Amino acid sequence: MASAFMQPGFGEAPGYSFSQAPTVAASGAREHSFYPYTDNGGSTLGITGQDFAILAGDTRSTSGYNINTRYAPKVFRIGSDDESGAGGHIVLAVCGFAADGEALKERLDAMVKMYRYQHGKPMSVKACAQRLATILYQKRFFPYYVHAILGGLDEEGKGALYSYDPVGSYEREQCRAAGAAASLIMPFLDNQVNFKNQFVPGSGVGHFLEAREPLPLPRKDVEELVRDAFSSAVERHIEVGDGLQMMVITKDGVEEIYHPLKRD
Amino acid sequence: MVGFDFSNHNRNLALHARGVPLPQATSTGTTIVGCIFDGGVVIAADTRATSGPIVADKNCEKLHYIAPQIWCAGAGTAADTEFTTALISSNLELHSLSTGRKPRVITCMTMLKQHLFRYQGHIGAYLVVAGVDPTGVGLFTVHAHGSTDKLPYVTMGSGSLAAMSVFETQWKPELTRDEAVKLCANAIQAGIWNDLGSGSNVDVCVITENNSTLLRNYITPNVREKKQRNYRFPRGTTAVLNEKVIKREDISKYVTVHELKDDSETAVAEKMELDA
Amino acid sequence: MFIARSEYDRGINTFSPEGRLFQVEYSLEAIKLGSTAIGVATGEGVILGVEKRVTSTLLETSSVEKIVEIDRHIGCAMSGLQADARSMIEHARVESQNHAFNYNEPLRVESCTQAICDLALRFGEGADGEESIMSRPFGVALLIAGFDEDGPQLYHAEPSGTFYRYDAKAIGSGSEGAQAELQNEYHKSLTLPEAETLVLKTLKQVMEEKLDAKNVQLASVTKEKGFRIYTDEEMADCVGRLPTN
Repeated sequence: MASAFMQPGFGEAPGYSFSQAPTVAASGAREHSFYPYTDNGGSTLGITGQDFAILAGDTRSTSGYNINTRYAPKVFRIGSDDESGAGGHIVLAVCGFAADGEALKERLDAMVKMYRYQHGKPMSVKACAQRLATILYQKRFFPYYVHAILGGLDEEGKGALYSYDPVGSYEREQCRAAGAAASLIMPFLDNQVNFKNQFVPGSGVGHFLEAREPLPLPRKDVEELVRDAFSSAVERHIEVGDGLQMMVITKDGVEEIYHPLKRD
Repeated sequence: MVGFDFSNHNRNLALHARGVPLPQATSTGTTIVGCIFDGGVVIAADTRATSGPIVADKNCEKLHYIAPQIWCAGAGTAADTEFTTALISSNLELHSLSTGRKPRVITCMTMLKQHLFRYQGHIGAYLVVAGVDPTGVGLFTVHAHGSTDKLPYVTMGSGSLAAMSVFETQWKPELTRDEAVKLCANAIQAGIWNDLGSGSNVDVCVITENNSTLLRNYITPNVREKKQRNYRFPRGTTAVLNEKVIKREDISKYVTVHELKDDSETAVAEKMELDA
Repeated sequence: MFIARSEYDRGINTFSPEGRLFQVEYSLEAIKLGSTAIGVATGEGVILGVEKRVTSTLLETSSVEKIVEIDRHIGCAMSGLQADARSMIEHARVESQNHAFNYNEPLRVESCTQAICDLALRFGEGADGEESIMSRPFGVALLIAGFDEDGPQLYHAEPSGTFYRYDAKAIGSGSEGAQAELQNEYHKSLTLPEAETLVLKTLKQVMEEKLDAKNVQLASVTKEKGFRIYTDEEMADCVGRLPTN
């Protein structure tokens, strides 16, 4: 019976039904592997308005069923002179693997500062967005395991938001949710920011009903939407919680707001 | 049982040589605890049910009735804990009827472990069995593979370490009823706050010689906060693509139609139960 | 300048006791042998002009390339060893493309000039025993003209690695006379056609040959059209507008 398994043409791996892959090779030599990534959970989101952009993220860091810390920021000021955020006008939100997020933020922050010294002007959000894409793509085959969202004000003073995949594909958008609870928050944002699936009552019949036109929301409304999005995500996603950190970028600078979230 | 069945031994050796690892026991998120006190026993559980990282039920019941004086807290696969406890509850009732005696905790535990062992861990039920019977107070844990323990205080589930840390620092022999309830509730809260698989509320069940009390939602420290905005849509926001009006005369041909007095009340046969 | 040669001539990175780097100073001399190049910055754009030394009637004048494009918004004119300029321009072009790739915006003219000057200093042994690419300083000077968010700009870059911004600048063999002429004629409100004429007029004064549409070349950098080398027709038109004598 055992000899049937030893035949070389039997196939690469036996059709066993256990979920874990074999850790011992056929030769009997034990293969050790190092998996360099961890998912630290959490969620981020960004919404733009006429003359502002808001980036937000919860502050919980997890591994498995454990909480590493209840306060690990995922939203960072980029290119500012000090912790107060003076001189900065760009914000980066990262979620996924926290160590990569931290490394990416440090690198982008250094580059934005270097740019100012080399070119004698602050980096525009558009330029920073392209730079972030090239940073990410440079590690195409050993990626930064993060979903990044970059926010700020564009050259015309309008709110700007760029979202990225881990290897640098990016797009400018009105709003974006990323991370563990992205699939919970994004449909809410589609409906409440871009008014998807909403029609103007009484504007027509059946297919001729007019879709509700999206228009930039005032800052107060957006802040409320962000808080509601997170207080809802906390209810239904175990990796989201503890605290909500918001960065509001206006022409006057970057304002940081913190609200506690449920800790269970 | 005649003896152990070794017929798979050679096959398993061959599989192991090809690198198949041993099957791993898994326990999905929950915190359940139990603790005896002078004159009875307390069990407690959190109320979060998850599927992966998503909270499936915020206020589920993990304390299962077995017999009037025997209750069971379940962790692991929800369906397995539910069906296993219900099955054993039935069999224990039949056993009690045929013997004409009150069911014993040790009997319940033995039936559970034999059932679970037969299924070699594939029934993912991890249980805390507690009760009071004519022999005294009983408190056991039963693992999915069939192993059991008898201890004065026990914890199970993904939050078991967090909960056990409370017992190991605060438990003492000779507890009063209220002290035991408080200790169990604290142990569950350790799981609720520090284990992502556990959350929401604390359920407690106290069993004494005379009666057993289920304290459903004994503590509710995770009430949903009020939303900042109002999410009511104006009537007509959803596109109506098709409309068909069925008159009362038409529908009366098939069912009996009653007129409702109160206009404000929606016509439902039974009020739907809502989560807190 | 022509003091007695000493052993300090040879060490590229060796200061003389008087604090001079002879090889760098000599490289500046090489430029003075080069053909004259002129740049004039106006509010509308920058005009670059060079004389092409047509040393033979058999020479195909279009093959004399002394004004080249670096990017759509930056161009440069050269004087000195043309072969050296090739590697500087290649470097500037790569810098410019890298910047556009990384930042999705055009490189600033000053940053481009700085990048060129960084390269100009990479001669000699190199620090820490690392392999050096160049054994001597460049023998060429550049006039870098460009347009960015700060408007039209003109820079002069030397082999020493220093650069300055100018309203109008002349380099090469006729630079002394030309610079004096520019000093007299330049004013802030020059129009682009006036600048074309000023460049040609100045070149004409310092050239040994008689100026015609074939032995000079003009180029412009403007906001609308970016860097552009003048066609033969445009050259003929500009030369035709020059006052006779």
